[in-house]
Amino acid sequence: MKLSRRKFCQVAGRGLLVASPLVRALGQSPSTLTAREVVARIKKNVGVPWFTPTADDFKIGEPDAPITGITATFMSTLDVLQRSAAAGNNFVITHEPTFWSAADVVSDLREDPLYNYKLNFLEKNKMVVWRFHDHWHAHRPADGIFTGWNKAMGWESYASPGADPFSHEYVIPETSFEDLARDMQKKLNTHSMRLVGNPKLRVTKVAHAGHYIQQCMQVLPHVDVVLVFECREWEAAEYLRDAVASGQKKALIQLPHEGGEEAGMDECARWMKTFVTEVPIKFIPSGDPFWMPT
Amino acid sequence: MITSQQLIDRIQKNVGVPWQSQQSDGFSDGILFGSPEATVTGIVTTWTPTLDVLRKAVSSAKNVVICRQAPSYSRGERAPVAWRNAPAPSKEMLDKDPVWQAKQDFISKNNLLIIRFCDNWDARRTDGQLRGLAKALGWEKFYLAQSAKDDYEPRNVYFRLPATSLNNLAEGIKKKLDIQGLRVIGKPDSSVTKVALTHGLLLVADAEQILREPGVDAIVTGDAVEWEAAPYFQDLVAAGKAKGLILLGDEASEEPGSGEVADWLKGFVTEVPIEWIPAGDPFWVLS
Repeated sequence: MKLSRRKFCQVAGRGLLVASPLVRALGQSPSTLTAREVVARIKKNVGVPWFTPTADDFKIGEPDAPITGITATFMSTLDVLQRSAAAGNNFVITHEPTFWSAADVVSDLREDPLYNYKLNFLEKNKMVVWRFHDHWHAHRPADGIFTGWNKAMGWESYASPGADPFSHEYVIPETSFEDLARDMQKKLNTHSMRLVGNPKLRVTKVAHAGHYIQQCMQVLPHVDVVLVFECREWEAAEYLRDAVASGQKKALIQLPHEGGEEAGMDECARWMKTFVTEVPIKFIPSGDPFWMPT
Repeated sequence: MITSQQLIDRIQKNVGVPWQSQQSDGFSDGILFGSPEATVTGIVTTWTPTLDVLRKAVSSAKNVVICRQAPSYSRGERAPVAWRNAPAPSKEMLDKDPVWQAKQDFISKNNLLIIRFCDNWDARRTDGQLRGLAKALGWEKFYLAQSAKDDYEPRNVYFRLPATSLNNLAEGIKKKLDIQGLRVIGKPDSSVTKVALTHGLLLVADAEQILREPGVDAIVTGDAVEWEAAPYFQDLVAAGKAKGLILLGDEASEEPGSGEVADWLKGFVTEVPIEWIPAGDPFWVLS
């Protein structure tokens, strides 16, 4: 019997981790899957040609060593790395940086005690970190991050078709601004949402405006509520505060970055399970970094 | 009588550092709106000239607003600063924007003068923004001055507070500054006593510099980029190397410094009334 690779993967994925006669006959053990092989499958499945320059690359570790399990996360914080190691996952796929800058530049961090602590932890646990940012947003037929976000909110059917991913627009059943914020806080599991606008405002049209003032300016005329995350306060908050002061019936929800994008990495874990079956895959949320005092 | 140009001349004479009027990128200090010949009727200082602050200025018959932020929702950079902020919107985009239109109309209809005063204020020997914030928090007596002459020198940002929990510290600050959108990283019950206080946006390099001082439990600052200093602090906490980060918000951390600017101006501008009008925390939060 000739076993296809796909079939082999399905067998291995059912937890038959001890080498069965069948596996031995194929001369391949399930534990030989490497991070580089996983990335090759991601590239094959992402639906767009791989482009450069991109942040999506290995940040640390040995890509050709066998992996024990995969974590998908929004941010590879030390806490997420520790939880991954405890779960037996030594390959971490992260949407955001590991070393606290967009390009994970470490040349300035060599003397930093925290950098060395994190590096030691990664090396001691033989972990590999790969960033999956640009191409997960570029994934087609739809941006993987916003597919996950729409699912988390239950807003798939409210999204306007054809909208640019970072300015998704939604028409939701009419509600008050405050009730919308409460619903969103619960569904996205955030603790640090900040709001501008009248709590009693009746709202139905909502749009993402990404991180920047130009995006806010583009969407504001069409909508009641603008959603931003990781936007500087002197941009969106001041713009919306003036919009309200000038008599416009508008409001702003400023989410933590995780609230805006973390659900997209839960989606990434679901997606990877369709083409990586040899090792366990787990979404480990980094979670809202903040809490607010009462 | 004093004109806006005379006001600027007097500021330049009193600022105590060589005046810088050119920035390679972004807005420079000086007049952003209005004429140098206009007669000053009164001066408002503020962190950011919101429409609301401008209305209050007009209703109290003051036509000059001295601020750190420009009125048009951007710091004027043509290129993003490492993607932390946006490039400034183009003139074409601003001109057709209804929010900016309303504000611009209000500024021109009322002949307001908007003067940016930020880089030169920050270049002074005393960090006026830090002093203002320390006063607003009631922390002057806890300042770890390095010498009798140390009047909030820019790099000395350390305070020794009566030991308390991170949560109590955060609650106390929130109440004292009357703000809503305060955010915290760290375990609420951690004990803190030595605290660094800064303002504005904290970058990773700033945090590294501040934490070279031994025994710092927490940093209180304005804001942090959520892929830079914020996760840096999450990791510091996870590694047991620091206890907390308290983010007041940009406005809350910088606004008391505008009160300092008003007090300083009163020392050499006596012809017209001078008033600090805080813009206030832009946010409210769910209870």
